[in-house]
Amino acid sequence: MEENGKLTVLDPHGQPSGIFGRRLDAQSNPRAILDPREQPSGELKSISMAPRLAALDGKTVYLVETGFAGSFEFMQELQEWFSRNMPSVKTVIRHKRGTMFTDDPELWKEIKSSGGDAAILGVGG
Amino acid sequence: MPLVTARFADFVERDARTRGTPLRFGFPPYPVVGMSRAVLRQYIEGNDPITVKPLMEEVIEGLTSPLTEGEKHPTPAPRKPQRPRLLAADSAENLHRQFMENGWTDGLPIVLPTENRVAEMLAGTDHAPDEIVGRMCVTTHQERLEYTVEKVAAIAVMAGARPEHFPVILALAASQEPSMPSSTTSWGRMMIVNGPIRNEIGMNCGVAALSPFNFANSVIGRAWTLMSINFGDARAGENFMATFGHSLNYNNMCCGENEEMSVFEPFHVQKGFRPDESVVSLFRGWNVLNFGIGVAKEMAHVISTFGSMGTSVTFVVDPLVAKNLRAEGFRTKQEACKWIVENSTLPAGHYWKGEMQAGFAAGLAKQGIEPFASLAKLPKDAPIAPRHSPNDINIVVVGGETNPMWITTDFAHTQSVSIDKWRPKGGLKRDAKPLRMPEPVICKDGLCGIPETAPNAEPVTAAD
Repeated sequence: MEENGKLTVLDPHGQPSGIFGRRLDAQSNPRAILDPREQPSGELKSISMAPRLAALDGKTVYLVETGFAGSFEFMQELQEWFSRNMPSVKTVIRHKRGTMFTDDPELWKEIKSSGGDAAILGVGG
Repeated sequence: MPLVTARFADFVERDARTRGTPLRFGFPPYPVVGMSRAVLRQYIEGNDPITVKPLMEEVIEGLTSPLTEGEKHPTPAPRKPQRPRLLAADSAENLHRQFMENGWTDGLPIVLPTENRVAEMLAGTDHAPDEIVGRMCVTTHQERLEYTVEKVAAIAVMAGARPEHFPVILALAASQEPSMPSSTTSWGRMMIVNGPIRNEIGMNCGVAALSPFNFANSVIGRAWTLMSINFGDARAGENFMATFGHSLNYNNMCCGENEEMSVFEPFHVQKGFRPDESVVSLFRGWNVLNFGIGVAKEMAHVISTFGSMGTSVTFVVDPLVAKNLRAEGFRTKQEACKWIVENSTLPAGHYWKGEMQAGFAAGLAKQGIEPFASLAKLPKDAPIAPRHSPNDINIVVVGGETNPMWITTDFAHTQSVSIDKWRPKGGLKRDAKPLRMPEPVICKDGLCGIPETAPNAEPVTAAD
């Protein structure tokens, strides 16, 4: 309705829903990340980071390659950096299963049960 | 500790704060894809471009320095408040400026969604204005914005649509798929309408169907993108990261399938709908790759040469091409697709050289994921069919028989959505004098000297 030369219009923007998309479960169809009907979603839950190590010397660090092109080669170089500069750090390269959007609980279990002390994941983007 | 290339530093840090999951990121330089080992080594031995600190010092510090109190007890960013239904009253000129400056448009002038105009649009469906139609986001992981029938009506008004178009626009909204999903690779989309509604609302399926000569095609395609901007919360550079973007995003190749001139069953019938149902089918990919003349063998040759991140192809074929495919002996689209898949091969050594395959498929092969794991074991001269299944190939028939050509896209079919669900029970809400652009000129008898069907060809279904 126009009043005094002014119009009232509707706000076209969607409303916040509090619902966020999540990474895929290990058994999800890889293409589900592109399908809003199938991709897991839900409200947010805060998660704190794992406690930090006192030092890396003598520890085992998993280098987890997430599937973006170039990530594996990057992790190989990262492994070589540790060999040259911090030889007491044992590094283990692993490919994360599924796509870069898929969880890999078996890998996380392996890291914890095989004496892994830390993990570096990459490379996003 | 996650490593993310510096180009996306803002993006991931903001996202982590929003989610209440603070992370210590390391930011190597960008890009990583396609870089030599020597360059990657320099990245690792050099500085994080964001903090200008040595990257590896940051990594070690990230893994070893004690958590702060904020890191031990994170809280998500406060939930955004609900937006008021109406904007503050203002002059039309100021409102146009507001819409443009807020990034709520596609850069073209819009029709302001006044309450009267939206109420008129709402007559195009029986669904209640406050019914929630869906939620959408242009990224896979950020907050989805929720929208009602009334919000979709506001978008339809902005696009310049009329109430008769509203059921199709609601069907698009119900898909919850944005027309412009965010990816650095710049997605493009296509939407194909099937069924009676094409003719009821005057969609173009024939000559120049993909060009700006039809009101319904124009406004419906535009509405999908305006929804993606406003419901998908697309903000260029902030969460919409397409490096080029895509001109298809303006209209999304919106058209109808030319069922009347096609010798094959309509696309929506292939997907399990009845012929008398009205349906919109969505496709997603990156590009129209070429145009071709000549049929199945040429189609197979073309798709064997294109590298792709996915395995899907959708051919948009003129009705003449459909007739020629039938004359070649393909009784159905599926038969043609099967033949094309089986005959579009290239040597394994050539396949694995492609940047897409080397970058992405190789990783899947290493994990033992089929078919890539088996493909990786083949000798270099063994033939590989890059498209693994006939279900990965689609054919839609569009065009006006002025050229027996087809275009190749790398689009995958994502979903087909019922339009009829959104129709008013009393029938489409048409204007007293529905607005139409000039119809494409065709010859007097409608045949233009072209036989109606190929010899001995009758449309058959895949079940025959």
